[in-house]
Amino acid sequence: MEFKPRNYNAQKEAHALPLVRTDSHPLSAPPSHHRQVDVVDHEHNDFFDPLRGLADNATNCREDVQELESTSSEASSQLPTREWMSFKRFLMQKFPVSKMVSISSMSNVIMKGVKVAEKSLTSTHLEELEDPEKCAEDGVKVVTRQEYISRLHELKDEINRAWRANDRVTSLKLAIKVARLLMDTSVLHFYPTLFVLSMDIMDMLGDMVWERIKWKAEFAEDGTRLFSLPENFQASDICSDAKETCNNWFCKIGSICELLPRIYLELALLPCWRFLVDQPEDNLQRLVMMMRGLSDPLASAYCRLYMAHCAQKLPRSDTGYLVQCVNDINIQLMRIMSAKEMTRRNSTDNKRLLFTLMEPTIEYIMKIIFKDASKSQVSNVLVELGSRRNQVELFGSLQCISMVLHHLLKELPAEVVTSNAMEILHIIECSNDYSSDQCLNYRLLGLRLSERRSQMDIIHDVVDKVIQVLSQNSSLDEYLKVVDAYVDIVLQNQMDNHLNTILGGILNRACNKAVAEDELASLQTILMKLLNHFKGLEDVFALNHFLEILDIMHGSSRSFVNMHILNLATRNSSISDPTTIQLLFEISQALHDDLDFVNAKDDDNQPARLISRFVHMVDYGSELERHLTFLVECRGAFGNLNELKETLVHSSNCLAIKALKDAKKHLSFIKSCIAFGEVTLPSISAQIKQLNLYLETAEVALVCGLVSHSDGLIDSAISCLLSLDFVDGSRTSTDIEGILSAIRKLFCLLIMVPGNPEQGVTYFANNILALVNSSSWMTPAMRTRIFYTTLTLTATLSQNKLPYHAVHGQIFGNDLLFFGDSSYLHELVSLSEFVLQNLVDSIQKEPSPAARGCIALEACNCIASSFVVSPEISQICSELIETAKSCLSASDKYLQSTIKFLDKNLRAPVVAVSSISV
Amino acid sequence: MVLVLALGDLHVPHRAPDLPAKFKSMLVPGKIQHIICTGNLCIKEVHDYLKTLCPDLHITRGEYDEETRYPETKTLTIGQFKLGLCHGHQVIPWGDLDSLAMLQRQLDVDILVTGHTHQFTAYKHEGGVVINPGSATGAYSSITYDVNPSFVLMDIDGLRVVVYVYELIDGEVKVDKIDFKKTTTASHTAH
Amino acid sequence: MSIELRLSRASRIYRPSEPLEGKIIVKSPSSISHYGIRLTLNGSVNLQVRGGSAGVIESFYGVLKPIPILKKSIEVRPSGKIGPGTAEIPFSMILRQPGEDNLERFYETFHGANISIQYLVSVDIMRGYLHKTISTTVEFIVESDAADLFERPVSPEMVIFYITQDTQRHPLLAELKSGGFRVTGKMSTQFSLSDPITGELTVEASALPICSIDIHLLRVESVLLGEKIVTETSLIQTTQIADGDVCHNLTLPIYVILPRLLTCPTILPGPFSIEFKACIVISFQSELSKLHSKSDPTSPRLWRWKLCHLNWFGQDRLIRTETTVTKMKMCI
Repeated sequence: MEFKPRNYNAQKEAHALPLVRTDSHPLSAPPSHHRQVDVVDHEHNDFFDPLRGLADNATNCREDVQELESTSSEASSQLPTREWMSFKRFLMQKFPVSKMVSISSMSNVIMKGVKVAEKSLTSTHLEELEDPEKCAEDGVKVVTRQEYISRLHELKDEINRAWRANDRVTSLKLAIKVARLLMDTSVLHFYPTLFVLSMDIMDMLGDMVWERIKWKAEFAEDGTRLFSLPENFQASDICSDAKETCNNWFCKIGSICELLPRIYLELALLPCWRFLVDQPEDNLQRLVMMMRGLSDPLASAYCRLYMAHCAQKLPRSDTGYLVQCVNDINIQLMRIMSAKEMTRRNSTDNKRLLFTLMEPTIEYIMKIIFKDASKSQVSNVLVELGSRRNQVELFGSLQCISMVLHHLLKELPAEVVTSNAMEILHIIECSNDYSSDQCLNYRLLGLRLSERRSQMDIIHDVVDKVIQVLSQNSSLDEYLKVVDAYVDIVLQNQMDNHLNTILGGILNRACNKAVAEDELASLQTILMKLLNHFKGLEDVFALNHFLEILDIMHGSSRSFVNMHILNLATRNSSISDPTTIQLLFEISQALHDDLDFVNAKDDDNQPARLISRFVHMVDYGSELERHLTFLVECRGAFGNLNELKETLVHSSNCLAIKALKDAKKHLSFIKSCIAFGEVTLPSISAQIKQLNLYLETAEVALVCGLVSHSDGLIDSAISCLLSLDFVDGSRTSTDIEGILSAIRKLFCLLIMVPGNPEQGVTYFANNILALVNSSSWMTPAMRTRIFYTTLTLTATLSQNKLPYHAVHGQIFGNDLLFFGDSSYLHELVSLSEFVLQNLVDSIQKEPSPAARGCIALEACNCIASSFVVSPEISQICSELIETAKSCLSASDKYLQSTIKFLDKNLRAPVVAVSSISV
Repeated sequence: MVLVLALGDLHVPHRAPDLPAKFKSMLVPGKIQHIICTGNLCIKEVHDYLKTLCPDLHITRGEYDEETRYPETKTLTIGQFKLGLCHGHQVIPWGDLDSLAMLQRQLDVDILVTGHTHQFTAYKHEGGVVINPGSATGAYSSITYDVNPSFVLMDIDGLRVVVYVYELIDGEVKVDKIDFKKTTTASHTAH
Repeated sequence: MSIELRLSRASRIYRPSEPLEGKIIVKSPSSISHYGIRLTLNGSVNLQVRGGSAGVIESFYGVLKPIPILKKSIEVRPSGKIGPGTAEIPFSMILRQPGEDNLERFYETFHGANISIQYLVSVDIMRGYLHKTISTTVEFIVESDAADLFERPVSPEMVIFYITQDTQRHPLLAELKSGGFRVTGKMSTQFSLSDPITGELTVEASALPICSIDIHLLRVESVLLGEKIVTETSLIQTTQIADGDVCHNLTLPIYVILPRLLTCPTILPGPFSIEFKACIVISFQSELSKLHSKSDPTSPRLWRWKLCHLNWFGQDRLIRTETTVTKMKMCI
């Protein structure tokens, strides 16, 4: 057997493709658009991609429809506003109801529901309706929420059924019953749910009436279409018959005794006014006034909410009536607040609950008021709200209920907020009541002001004033909430003194107490804003009190901020400032100490990743010793982080190479680096990573000329491979592939490693082959691959000039060490022969034919390139080809190309046929 | 005209903090249609960065890759060309033409792209072309620490490929090119 | 064999100046011989007195003689034969001869407690002595001529009212009497039937929390019985305008739509009269009632459930100058 001689350099030169220097290339054209200078412009915040917005809404809408429109009303021509849908869902979610609802006598509809359903005659309904007392039962009933809700659904179905049966009187009467349920506010928490369910029914009735009258207007009695009403029809387009019917509906509703159901029904039918008059919106003013007669704050607030909803179905409506609404709500709330706490209903807790329940109605009405409002309309709204405020003074010193103010402020157009900031601030100052926290209004003002740039002097005045007000406030929580909203403004306007005051203020209020969860959350956002504002971390660290504030934080918020800091630190290039490194090291330590090692999974252990990144990014420049000391410190500090140990080895290896590059004279330092790696490596638990790191360190040691170190490391790598044996059999195929690749890489490395004549030049290869034979987890295919790789190794080692050498000048490759040494060559040949014998056997042991065919071809290629053609080699090759032919189809590309390759080799060894022309 | 970016052996952050800034400023999203990466990125952030340049990203596994699910080899067809991808640390001896030719036969590809040696090379050999884009960050390799950052951009147009080699030498990006064609009729007449 | 009177209008509403038109529909399997088909219109005011409402002696109870408004009869077909199957006989009859000056007599159709004003049309097919006369009757509704609407324009009249503890004639709770209350406002007194009663009301002060404020609509029917007038007042509609203790000094609107089936234009005194009144009823929540309701301590609405004290306010007359029609059944 004879190894095929190779001349690597000559071959490379012969085949190298010629390079031509060029100035024009695909990346040379200037980028089509330069990125805009990174200006933090808050005006841009308002912008959002319209297409995306639409899509989002559409999906929301679809869900809503599915959820709420279980029985869709008969073709509604009126806009079922998506907002309303999502608002209804929001209401239901915001106020979940306990399982049981106590029902007062008023709600006998619910209690007697089943019975009512059984009586088919309308007369029973009539009786009940006209004399609710008659059917009222004494005492309180308790039903489950689910029963109540399903009863409402039943009622909805009944109304629908009666309508289809042309029994519209029954439909109406049932609808009135539903509306009457809304008079009962005794179970406060249930009210929003009740409202939503009832409104569904009201809307449905409204739609049905609308459709009926529209039909009467468009069709003759015998069903022929007379004409079709345009979208913007006039009352004069409606025939008298349809008008008469419409009028009858309003008369029927007008005869309802109780105020609340009468208003609800008229609201449901509100769009129908269009059939009678050209200015249907005039009725809104009257309805607003009528609602003043509802003394129950909750019932009236939701009634107003429904009006806001229904009024949108009219083609045009001025929002004046809604402003009136807000004023009335304001008055009502003031009255509640000034009421003495005599009864249960009046207790402060109950009032707070009441406010919470009323809040969504105010929010919605405010939204509608300012939706699409033009500038002049906005100022009108403000004047109207303002003029009322004066009147309100009659009732007490309060100017505006803070909850109402809150939602007003929320909806006001940004430019109005900025131009009236001081006035608003004044109103906030005056409205301090328990309907909502005053500090939330201060906060909101700050948030609104941050939305767009405003005049410097106004901003300065506002911030001065707010900071001054805040200085009186000793509550950390409130301080943080407000400050949070102004941090952006302060930062953007470079109000450094204020920033100082704020940070000092936080520290003062926090230093002697345990910081609560809410406060931590606010602190977190404030610190994040600071971190994101400044360009460099150094600037943030240099802020007064920043680090102290970071110190008072704890728990997940601190970890969050710490992680963010590390993220910022490692985002760009290396970190070289010693102070920053020290601070980040401490931050990493804090993060490390807060880590929950029990629960943290290796996969998504973000803190560990960030600490590792940080360690990687540290760069002491030419102070290599300092850097190594740092790595030693890290090993001590972050002992629990597995990932970090890998980082440390990578870093120390990198450091060694750096030292080598630098001057090539720090041999002792390089040794320290390698030694550091050697000490760290055994504690790495991930075995394959450990294996690869052993190899990397061995490579580095070799490059640095430390042969004995690299020998030791290769030994460790092989024992690492051996220890894989004990591990469970559940290795994944990627692991197996990884191990195979690592072994092949080790062989590649061995080409550079000077052989030790005492141990024998094939010492490492023999060790690996021993491992191959003893490892039970190794598959026949893997064995085969290691075998033929060994052949390539011996063939390469036999060359007069190796393909590559360790760069270090003092290390000689085997080609020089054993040049002309026949025993060396003999050792290689005998190893090859041994391997060849085993190779064919192991191929046959592979159970899968496809894999068998494949490895046979691989081996065949390898043998044909490694050895000079001889009968023996030809014999083995043709056997392998036969094996492959028996396993693979004749058209297999690999089989064909291998056969072609063999043919060529047998005839003339060095003919390169190129199908690529240059 | 299809632009294929081929690069590998970044070793971020183990051996280099990031891609050279000069490279980053040249690589803008929207220009490149495919990226083939030989491996050793090594962290997810680099993967994500490459994704921003071009979503069609093909990667094989280097020994230090955090993501172990990358395959050892990969093939893909772009236009008239079949491309093979492999990191190369498992090819013995590293960078050997005969061994790479074996791999090329096995993968049955026109162009084989491998890495690991951190040195740009391009050979024509038997039925195809073997390209090593070098290390995009200039990281040290198993063999040498004297490495210039480099990557390759292939402009595939019909049967013609122009390979642009970007190399950062002393802070300047130098670009070389290689032009070759694929002949569909295999020239067996040569022997 | 069946007979049906089908009027030309589904609503069956006609004005005195218009002809009453329609068809007589006769369905029969065989032919019918008859001595003539007659159509008769009948309009009358029916009065009755129930109970001793005005202190009248019990013997007055009973039905009084109706006051005739209209009685007309025509022959639509002379004697002859109606063939088998369905026969339709159209007719048209003038209610009021032009020139006839009896507008006052054509009261609008009305169905009250003691007074009802009714118009009937009936058809008779006379078949001699051996066979029963076939007949059927249908009510039609009369509303005043549209032309009259424009003759007398409505002059809106408002009354201004005060209600305090001192304006009340009936006994009040002591705490209310001493603490006092004051409710003011105004209300329209003259308007078209198709218009709502409008006005406004403000609670200016109240020692006790208010429970409810309702507008009661009352109908006063008077019948002249000899030298006495027998009057019956009935509550025909209650409309709540305030539910609970409303804010003081806020103006509440009064907006009451008239019940179409239960009202008619005011008829000024003659042999009979129909008038309407509105009352404002203010109910208060009182401590006293709380004691009463303590019998049921489980009630969650304890705080709200109250005995109410009615306070009557002066009797505003509603005068209808304009007319509209009332129907027996509204189509909705």
